[in-house]
Amino acid sequence: MTKHEIDCEQALDQLIEFVDHELPEGKHSAMQHHMRACKSCFSRFEFERRLKEKLGTLRDTEVSSDASERIKRLLKSF
Amino acid sequence: MSVSRETFESQVLGLLGRLQGVARRLTRNDTDAEDLVAETVARAWRALDTLEHEAAFRGWIFRILNNTFLDECRRRGARPRFEPLDCEAPEGDEEQQFSIFEQMHQPFLLWFSTPEQEFLDKLLREDLERALATLPECYRIVVILSDLEEFSYAEIAAALGVPVGTVRSRLARARSALQKILWQQAKDIGLAAEAPAENECSETASAPRATAGRRKKGEVT
Repeated sequence: MTKHEIDCEQALDQLIEFVDHELPEGKHSAMQHHMRACKSCFSRFEFERRLKEKLGTLRDTEVSSDASERIKRLLKSF
Repeated sequence: MSVSRETFESQVLGLLGRLQGVARRLTRNDTDAEDLVAETVARAWRALDTLEHEAAFRGWIFRILNNTFLDECRRRGARPRFEPLDCEAPEGDEEQQFSIFEQMHQPFLLWFSTPEQEFLDKLLREDLERALATLPECYRIVVILSDLEEFSYAEIAAALGVPVGTVRSRLARARSALQKILWQQAKDIGLAAEAPAENECSETASAPRATAGRRKKGEVT
């Protein structure tokens, strides 16, 4: 294992930040490298990534016209 | 004042749908959500001096939204499940370790046939909605901000008034708790069962070595 390589334990420790794109560049690259080599860690990453993606589809941005008008009136009152 | 009245108005109106959406998930009620957003906007206007620059607006106003929600819960005497202490992991917390992947993954199955991926394929929007609504407030808000609203850890930290490291650990516990709920829901309706064999993490992408403990596709349904 070279200094750029990580083992499964290190990969799982950093998985949450990897899924959230929060790792600094060097660690992100090491994770990508590990994911290409380790089927099990890649499968786990794929599971977590897809679950996050599915949760993302729940984003709700609906605003009723009444609620929108209420906020516009409020802003005018300031 | 760090931002003009016009900027404040355009930022609020630009974020209104997202404020309303998050408020609806926090209050679980359209009327309360509308009141919460209106109160948030009023408080934000009064506190505009505390906004350092326009780029920080999103984290800043969601922090006001969250605090306004917590204040309202306290005022109503609601059970304070959202209190910060409740969000911290107890000693030897088992919940942090829960993972649907670990429950289901079978390393010897073929690459394209994975029970955990099939589990995700079968998850309906209603399943996710119900699980999210069941999460305690302190966990629900981090999942909403990270996974639905796509906030960075730094933005969530700003929105919740906690360090970035706390965001990471709280998210880990929140996702674990969410998976535990999803798993229980799936078991209750017979949609899921644990993998028969113990998992392992192989460092090589080798072909499956055996089919021991293999489950047919249909068995997870």
